[in-house]
Parts: sequence; structure tokens; C-alpha cells
Amino acid sequence: MLLTVDNMDVYYGAIHAIKGISFEVAEGEIVTLIGANGAGKSTTLKTVSGLLRSKTGSIVFEDKDISNVPPHKLVAQGLAHVPEGRRVFLQMTVEENLEMGAYTQKNANVDGHLDKVYELFPRMKERRRQIAGTLSGGEQQMLAMGRALMSDPKLMMLDEPSMGLAPILVDQIFDIIKDLHKAGTTILLVEQNAQMALSVADRGYVLETGKIVKSAPAKELLNDASVKAAYLGG
Amino acid sequence: MVIFLTRLINGISLGSVYAIIALGYTMVYGIAKMLNFAHGDVIMVGAYVCFFAISSYHLNPVVGVLLAMLVCTVLGMVIERLAYKPLRQAPSLAVLITAIGVSYFLQNGAQLLWGTNNKMFPAFLKGNALQLMDGQLKISVTTVVNVVVCVVVMLALTWFTGKTKMGKAMRACSEDKGAAQLMGINVDTTISMTFAIGSALAAVAGVLYMSSYPILVPTTGSMPGIKAFTAAVFGGIGSIPGALLGGLLLGIIEIFAGGYISTQLQNAIVFAVLIVVLLVKPTGLLGKQIREKV
Repeated sequence: MLLTVDNMDVYYGAIHAIKGISFEVAEGEIVTLIGANGAGKSTTLKTVSGLLRSKTGSIVFEDKDISNVPPHKLVAQGLAHVPEGRRVFLQMTVEENLEMGAYTQKNANVDGHLDKVYELFPRMKERRRQIAGTLSGGEQQMLAMGRALMSDPKLMMLDEPSMGLAPILVDQIFDIIKDLHKAGTTILLVEQNAQMALSVADRGYVLETGKIVKSAPAKELLNDASVKAAYLGG
Repeated sequence: MVIFLTRLINGISLGSVYAIIALGYTMVYGIAKMLNFAHGDVIMVGAYVCFFAISSYHLNPVVGVLLAMLVCTVLGMVIERLAYKPLRQAPSLAVLITAIGVSYFLQNGAQLLWGTNNKMFPAFLKGNALQLMDGQLKISVTTVVNVVVCVVVMLALTWFTGKTKMGKAMRACSEDKGAAQLMGINVDTTISMTFAIGSALAAVAGVLYMSSYPILVPTTGSMPGIKAFTAAVFGGIGSIPGALLGGLLLGIIEIFAGGYISTQLQNAIVFAVLIVVLLVKPTGLLGKQIREKV
């Protein structure tokens, strides 16, 4: 297993946000966490990447327990997190944003990664001198994903990549996710758009108020009556 | 005309020093989102270190300045580590009060260590003034040094934040610390680095300030400190060009107010101008306008 989360418990003050969840991601997989607003999907990702801490249990990434590693050290170990709402550096240029993504990389590798990202996102190459704040939402999402790829991650965690985007852009983003997967990147995807997420994923977990209530291959979840009723619009 | 030009030049000279101090405020604010009210007192410590290096140990003034920069760099990092870092998650009012506490701590520490007597800072910038307009307009060595140092510092910082990896990481931190961490940037190191740079600049500014106002007491840093803070807000806090603009304008306004209106009202006028600017443009002259499209 590339990532094994065992018995994760997260509190926001007195609020018990994540109640002892366990899940795993194998190398080469796309795994999705689906669930309603407030179910704890983003909290889970933030805890894996060290921005929040679990009270109990363990988070093991590539056979190393990372549950107490500070977030800035996880990037170099191969864990990239594309946060909710993109969080690109709005006042920096596209290329500077990408350079920040490669912060932990050796300088000699940066140009190579940059070429790869530009190949995947030709739009970013066209706009590389532009300030990120002037990009459209879809472009910012591409930039955020490209920025994460700059660290050459083994596992990429995507938090709501389709949020706030027009349907045509959502399709584009999901095509990119498929391309990344084909190229060998392991992906942990958090989405409210369960239909899209399950259509690209290998396996899925359903999160409800801080607990995993169901886990199955994505195809099964797509046809599951309760999942259909709750998340796929009947 | 000569009087006007002389005053303008004096204003630019003083403003250059304010600008260097304002940089420290603005960089720390930009990255740590806090007002480091102890910054002015770091200036005072720098001035004392340089004073003792020159007058007691008879070192070369350049060595004295370098020594002051070294001491202030360490001091700035220690202050950040001991006083501000534990408050990273605390409300900003707690941090502000702590900063004021650190300011008093440094002033009183200086009183204990060095006494309250005035110390006369030796004139170390010697040399003939530049003479223009048949000798009517004189530009002193101090003025030339202030302006040159200010320009060099501005160019160096612009290069640092625009071209180097560490400098870009600082800008990333100033925008979004969470996202910066996810890039692998160590936010604590970056903040510490910012304090180091700001404090080293404070040392330089302290020594330059002493060459114009050579009376050194433990509270020496508070007036230039508060004025440079005003300059930083005036120019738009968080903005490096804003610190330059704010510093220069403040210096010019101060000298003009003293020269044309009243030396007694000088400071009051300076702060009144700040109030007016903030009423009209609350983000300061070059305050960040975030161009954002969703």
C-alpha cells in the first residue's frame, strides 16, 4: 500500500470532525472519497498532509509513519496536496507558482518538470508570465494541479478540483486526471461531484458525518441504490 | 529656491533612513502579518553596538556597522523565536501587546546596560560636501551615503524577492502560508529569515540616523521607529516600493513642515498627513490591490 490511514480521529476544538476512519490507497490507483458538504472529506486530506493532526491511529505513507511529520517535509517524500479552492499564489506569475511547486526539488530538475507540466497544460505555457490572479477559475485549477506535479509526487491528493467550474471545464479537469493516472500517478480524489469522481476512480469510500459508511469498487458504488439516492441525484 | 532645494535634499536624506526602517516593518507585516513595534528599539541597539565599536574599541566605522548588523540580526531572530513564535496562533491583539512589551523590554534593558546618559555618537561620515550652484547648495556626505544606501538596499531587496528561491518563498508565505507549506516551504524558517533581514536593515538605519541626529539614549529608536511605521502605512504596508515612497515622502514632509511652518508642530503635521492619507486611501498610497478574477 502506498498510503494506509488507520483509525484517524480529528477534532476542531470540541467538534469531533473525523471519527476513527481507515482507508488505503494502492500504487497506481485512483481512489475517491465522496460525501456531502461537511462530511469531513477536506479534513481528511488536510490531516494526511499534516495541516491538521489526528488524535489517534496512524498514517503510513510508503511504510513510514507520517502522522507527526510537519507538512512542509511531506512534499519531498512524494506527497502533493492540491487544496480546496486552488490556493494558487494570486500575486505571483504562473511560472513562479510552478517554481514554488518545485521548491523541494533540486534546481537541476526544475526545468525538466516545467517542460512536462507545460506539455500537459499548454495554456500555462502561453500564460507563464501572467499574474495568477488574472487567470480564470479553470486555469487556476490547472495551475494548482501543475504546481503540485512540479514536486514529482508519488501520491497526488486533489480536493474538489471541479468546484465552481463550468461543466465543460469539469470535463477537461477530469480528462487531465485520467491522463495523470495513465502516466502512473496515484491519485486520492475528494469530490462533491460523485458521478464524475466515481466514473474515473478505481475504488471509492463514502464519508458521512466523519465516518466511512461504505467502501467498494467505484463501479459498484455507481450502481448502489443508497449512493444513487444520496449523491447521484436518484 | 536654494532654501527650498536644501530642504528638499534634507528631506530626501532623512526619508531614505525612514524608508530603510519602514522596510523592516513592511516585510515583517507582509509575512508574519504582525506589527513589530520593537523594530524601532532594534535600531537603538544597533546604534549602541556601533557606538561602542567606534568609540570604545576604536574599530573602523564600517566594521562597527557590520558588527551592529550581526548583533541586530541575531537579536531580531531571538525576539521572533522567544516572543512571537509561541503566539503564531494567538489573536493579533495579543501579538501587538507582546510587541509593545518587547519594545519596553529593550529600552529598559538598554538603560540597565548602558545607562540613561546621552552619548554623543561620533561623526564618522567625514568629507567635504558636494557644492552646487556656485557653492550655494551643499549636499553633505551624510546625504549622499543615506541615499546611496537606500537605493542599494531597495535594489537588493527587489532582486532578492523577485529572483531568488528564498525571496519567492517569502512572497508565497506572505500570500498564503497554508499553501506555501504544501509546497514544502518551511514557514517558520521563512519568518525567522524575514526578521533577520529586517533587523539587519534596522542596524544600518540606526547608524545612518545617528549621523544626522547624533544623541544616543535608550529611547532613541522610538521616534524614528514610529515615524517609519507611519511611512510604511503611508506607502501601503506590506509593499516594498510603498515603504520607499512612504519613507521619502514622510522625510520631505517633516523637513518642509519644520522649515516652512513650525519646528514645534513638525511631528504633529507628519502624523496629521498620515491620518488624511488613510482617510482618503485606507490601504496607503501603494497598498496592495489584489487583481482577482473568479
